[in-house]
Amino acid sequence: MSDWSAEAIDYVQAVTDTKLVLSQRYSQWSLAGDTLEDTIGGSSAAQDEIGHIRQLANELEDQGRDMEWIRGARDPEEFANAACLDAIDGDWAAFMATVGPADRAAWYLLDAIDQEDLEGLLTKIGEDEYFHLEYHDARLETLAEEKPEEIQAALEETLPQALAFIGPQSYDEETDPVYQAGFTNRPVAEIREAFAAHYRDLFADTPVSLENVDWDVAADDDEWDATRRRVDDGAIAEEDVSQISGERNELYAMN
Amino acid sequence: MQKYDVFARLHPGDDTIHIGNVTAQNERLAKMYAYETFDEEDWDYMAVVAQDDLHEVTGKMPTAGVSR
Repeated sequence: MSDWSAEAIDYVQAVTDTKLVLSQRYSQWSLAGDTLEDTIGGSSAAQDEIGHIRQLANELEDQGRDMEWIRGARDPEEFANAACLDAIDGDWAAFMATVGPADRAAWYLLDAIDQEDLEGLLTKIGEDEYFHLEYHDARLETLAEEKPEEIQAALEETLPQALAFIGPQSYDEETDPVYQAGFTNRPVAEIREAFAAHYRDLFADTPVSLENVDWDVAADDDEWDATRRRVDDGAIAEEDVSQISGERNELYAMN
Repeated sequence: MQKYDVFARLHPGDDTIHIGNVTAQNERLAKMYAYETFDEEDWDYMAVVAQDDLHEVTGKMPTAGVSR
């Protein structure tokens, strides 16, 4: 086990929290899918995320984080999840336009980690994520034709929040502390660029326009919360924390 | 929407067998639906085929004028 910098621990914690809330959202929406196949896909993704969280939680515990706290014994404001996952208002289209960018952003952050002892774990997560991200994109493509206005409106909100989660634009090779510490092999600015390029390309030939997306959100780190990886002070609901921690039904708690 | 048949095998060299079907709007989604729906095994190989692309060989009768 290697010792990570404080910034690297926060980085992995934010990815873990995003996966924790993501699994909660997948579970909540898994019966709302347009088709039986959609509901199966959502349930399956939720289970994958739980597996990823368990492994990442063990790594964080090795770095000194308290397991009960990681599992959810904390206030909503202590969760460092991507802001777009705080709540999902809207229908199935809004759900897809929310979980897609959040899941992709979390994977891009994990994929940038350059630690030999995490290689096997990240490869396994990547194999699962291939199917999550491919499913999201395939579904977003069809929804872009069926419900372009709903998808566009949701993306105008969720893409900037996912970008802020990735980190500030000003974090380049010279200034990104996690990259500087050698924990990642590419700075946040590069990850943001790849993320934006992906969605511009995905919707290029669809009726969905990304013209009004704020691609420059969190341009610098002045107003960016480095622990929670966001620019706003929102949070998940108390009820989400209660369900995630399983305090009312220990049978479902992550243990 | 189109129906796709799903074929898979567990190990290299095994026969590829029909394991079910999914309904999807396109091939890309059909592949993802198949993976998620039939993930109870660690498949070595899985493929989907649009039912429109299946050409039946059996069940044909000779038409008049065709010798047996």
